[in-house]
This record gives sequence, structure tokens and C-alpha cells, in this order.
Amino acid sequence: MFTEYIFHFLSILSLFSAVMVLASKKPIHSVLFLTLAFFAIAGHYVLLNAQFLAVVHVIVYAGAIMVLFLFTVMLLNLNKDEQSQKPMWVKIMAVIAGGMLMLTLIGILRKYDIQSVQDPMTTQIGLVKNLGKILYNDYFVPFELSSVLFLTAMVGAVLLGKKEQI
Amino acid sequence: MLIMRHELLLIAITVILLIVEIFLPNTQKHKIILPAILLMAAVTVIGFFPGTPGVLFGGMFQSTQLTMMFKNILNIGVLIVFIQSVDWLKQDQNKEKISEFFLLMLATLIGMNYMISSGDFLMFYIGLELATIPVAALAAFERLKEKSAEAGVKLIFSSALSSGILLYGLSMIYGTTGTMYFADVAPLITGVPLQVLAFIFFFAGMAFKISLVPFHLWTADVYEGAPVNVTSYLSVISKGAAVFIFTIILYTVFSKIAVMWSDLIYVVTILTITVGNLFALRQQNLKRFLAFSSIAQAGFILLGVIGQSQLGMTTVIYFVLVYIFSNLGAFGVVGIISNRTGKENINDYDGLYRTNPNLSLVMMLALFSLAGIPPLAGFFGKFFLFTAAAKQGYYILVLIALINTIISLYYYLLVIKAMLLNNSDHPIAKIRSDNYTRLGLLICVAGMVIIGFTSSIYEMVFNLSFGLY
Repeated sequence: MFTEYIFHFLSILSLFSAVMVLASKKPIHSVLFLTLAFFAIAGHYVLLNAQFLAVVHVIVYAGAIMVLFLFTVMLLNLNKDEQSQKPMWVKIMAVIAGGMLMLTLIGILRKYDIQSVQDPMTTQIGLVKNLGKILYNDYFVPFELSSVLFLTAMVGAVLLGKKEQI
Repeated sequence: MLIMRHELLLIAITVILLIVEIFLPNTQKHKIILPAILLMAAVTVIGFFPGTPGVLFGGMFQSTQLTMMFKNILNIGVLIVFIQSVDWLKQDQNKEKISEFFLLMLATLIGMNYMISSGDFLMFYIGLELATIPVAALAAFERLKEKSAEAGVKLIFSSALSSGILLYGLSMIYGTTGTMYFADVAPLITGVPLQVLAFIFFFAGMAFKISLVPFHLWTADVYEGAPVNVTSYLSVISKGAAVFIFTIILYTVFSKIAVMWSDLIYVVTILTITVGNLFALRQQNLKRFLAFSSIAQAGFILLGVIGQSQLGMTTVIYFVLVYIFSNLGAFGVVGIISNRTGKENINDYDGLYRTNPNLSLVMMLALFSLAGIPPLAGFFGKFFLFTAAAKQGYYILVLIALINTIISLYYYLLVIKAMLLNNSDHPIAKIRSDNYTRLGLLICVAGMVIIGFTSSIYEMVFNLSFGLY
């Protein structure tokens, strides 16, 4: 019962902050609301007994990425109210398209009978030990391949950051 | 080991080049060109030795005769791109970045190889990302040019968005089936609404990568801004690999809801061919022109996908093979002219035949092949695609595609007319191309002509495609 209250609280919080990311006028407010949204989602992960994911989420998203965002906003001095104004028909089209997608999603999820769901408390899949086992047994190749991806990303960053004589 | 040899060899030469790169002083970077091309050629040749098909890591990685052959096709394509890029890489502003070009290209090729032999959606996704992210860095290769930097940013944003949509779809598939392995997912696809929505998201994500209408808007800007050789890579190799795995996933994983996706593809095919062609008519810049023509060609490939049979799979692979040679030939000529003179507009090509007969000839053959003029390979590629769609009874679709072929013939001929018939007071001066460029163009021409005349290649692809559908 208690977890249900927490769930509702976290859901409302994450939805509210997600809307505020888009609705706030100042970029810095958007960034701070985004951080709030990330924390709320991390709370959801804890509720699902996925502690490792929750911690990683807080460290990577709320920690590293948000700091980068804040730096960018600060350095580019974006803290001014100069959002580009879209024409009215674009806004209307966007609302219609997004609203249709939302209706479809709601309809489909209402219709779908979720059966295969396992209780996260009994499977213990989100714990570090089990996650590590799966990562290094079943998903070994993708895991190693992602290291190639990081190497390549570094090469790409070096390419773009190289000093050039003009 | 032998099952994964394509990938392991590519990783090996990437590491070798990375180490060589460290020891080369900044002024000597051009010395990496020859070893890079030779190593790539060696990998291409080794790839043709008969290999053992099999499954590794519990179904995560699967290698069949078909994927091995497609990897060989990709290897050839990348080799041609390497050879064609030498002239551009030797320019002064690129001299210090030569090795990065090869490393990033090889990394994307590794990603594609893992992507096309993946047996699991997660593996597929990581391969897809490895095949996309480095290309964004390559598109921004000439980052001091505003257009090139813009191309890089546009590519990374649009690919991030499409990956997000794709992942959302994959998460729904995981939610409804509880597994990510292709073999396990396939029987659990029952066509409940959630799975259909998941498929639509997956389709949208892949359509971004293949640049199908209505997900094509990034294509023209990125193709125009990126360096010509990167553009040719994007439009041929990246697209070819994505189309291949897309077809395989449609045929194996989503075969149970084929009724639904064939309707979807029907509409998207008509849109893609028509919009691609109509916009190509209006282009003056040759890179934008080839971008829209490649959108239209992707639409033609969908004709084979909708064929839903062994024939359909065969025609898709055969067309990609032909398309690699034709499009790389066209881009090779555009590339050398753009590098030497900086001219990229169709008007600039007026009277090209008088000054550069050989280049015009290659360009003419490539455009004829893209348009589908009989003796060249492009004709057979399109012909087989039409056959595959017609066998399933999509006669109206084939008719629309045929009308579009005629439209496309018109704009391809416009370029040829500019080269051969138009007179110009200031034609492009005579270009002395180096041996690398000549070799690259020669391979393309040979490919276009030989594939057109040897039916055994088609037979071979047909036999290998057995049992997929």
C-alpha cells in the first residue's frame, strides 16, 4: 500500500517535471526540471527492485550529463528568453500528431492484457550480481562491441577536436 | 573463429592501423593510405574463401552463406570508397586527418557486419549505432566548412531521434514477448495491437536510416554538406546494410504479420519513389540530385522487399550489389571534379565531354545503370525487383514504379545531355586524375558491365537466399 502511494507520487512528479521541461521559458529551468525528472525515474527503478539501474541512472544522467547541460547553458549564455517562434499551423499540426499518438498508445495499452509480467521482488533480476551474470554470459558480444563503439567515439572526438592550420 | 572471421579481421586491421597511426609523425600521415588500402583488399579477398556458417554465443551472432556473401559485397564497396578517397585525402586541409578517416570507416564497417549477422535485437541495435555514430564524425570531416559541420550535426540528431523511436519499438517487443532473440521472438509475434505499434516504431526507425519518405528530410542536407566520398559511403554502403538486415528481420521475425507490413510498405514505396523522383527533377547541385535519386532507388528496393519470397530477398541483394557499383561510379566522378575544381552544379558540367571524355563516359555509364538502360547491370537489378513485386500480384505498384522509371530517365538524361551536347564557354578544364581514382572508376565500370552480362551471379544469390522466407 505504501509503495502504491510512492508510485503515484513519483509518477505525478516525473510527468509534471517532464511537462515543465518543455514549458519553462528559461533554458536553465528546463535543465533543472529535467534533473528532477531523472530523479523521479530513478525512484521508479528502485520501486522495481532495480537498484543498480537506479544508481547508474542518477550517476550518469543526473550527474554527468546534467552537469554538461548546465555548463553548455552557462557558457553559451543561453539564459535569455529568445525562443524561435514557430508558425501557428506548425503548432496545431504538432498537437494533432502528438495527440493522435497519445490516443493510440492509451488505447493499445488499455486493450493489452499484460500476463508475462514477473514480480521484480521475486526474480531479483535488477540486482548487481544477477545483472552482471546476464551481461557477461548472454550479452557478452554486445557488451564488448560497445567498447569498440567507445573507441570509435574517441577517434571521432579527436578528429573533430584536432587543431587545424588554415 | 572461422565463423566470425570477417569481423575479427576487420577489428585486427583497425587495431593495426591505430598502432601505425601512433608512430607516424604529423607530416607523414599520408603514408598510411597504401597499407590501409592493401589491408582492406586483403580482408576482401580472404572474405571470399569458403567459410563455415554457424551460430555463436547462444544465437547472439549467426553467420550464414547469405550474410557472408553480403559482407563480401560491403567489403568491396568500402574498398572502392577507400580507393576513390585518396585524391581527396591528399589535399592540404585533410593531410593530418587521413588515418582517422580510415579508422572511422572501418569501425562503421565492423558495426554493419555485426548488425547484419545479429541474432538478437540488442546486438542489432549496437551494430546499428556503431554503423551510424562514426559516420556523423565523418560527415563533419571538413568541419571548418559550415555545410560540413551542419551535415554532421543534422546526421547525429536525426539518427539519435530515429534510434530513440526504434528502441521504443524494441522495448515494446521485449515487453510483449519477454525475449530479444530473433528466433524466440518470431513465434510469439501474434499481431496484438501493441506488437503492431512496436513494429511501426521499428519501421519508422529503420526508415530514417534507409531514408524512406516521409522520413527522408535529413538526407538532402547531409548528403550535400558532407564530403563527396562520405556521401557516397552513406548513400551506398550504410543504406545497403540497413536494407539487408531490415529485409531479413521483416522476413524472419515479423513474417507472421506480413499482411500488415506489406500494406505499410505498399504506401511507403509509392511515396518514396514518387517524392524522390519529383524532388530530384528540381535539383541543380549534383550531390543533392544524387541524394534524391538515392531516395528513389531505396523506394525501388522496397519493391523487392514486398515480394516476400526467396525471389524478393534475391532481388534486394542483387540490386544492392548493382547499386553499389553504379552509385559509386557516379559519386567517383562527382568527387574528383568537386575536389579539383569545387564545381558541383549540373550547369558546370556543360561540355565536359570535350575536355574530359573518359570521366564523362564513366558518368554516362553510371547514370545509365542507375536509370536502368538494358545492357548495364542496373537494368537487370530493376527488372528483377519488378518481377518480384509482380509475382505477388502488385501490378498497380509495378505500374507506378515503371512510370517513375521513365521520370527518372528524364533527369538522368539531363545530366548526360549537359555533358555531351551542351556547349559552354568555360568548360571544366582537363583533369589529370591519379592512378587511385582511375582504378576506383575502372572497378565500378567493370562491375556495372560484368554483373549485367553474367547471370551466374544472380543464380548464386538466388541459391543462397533459400530458406529465409
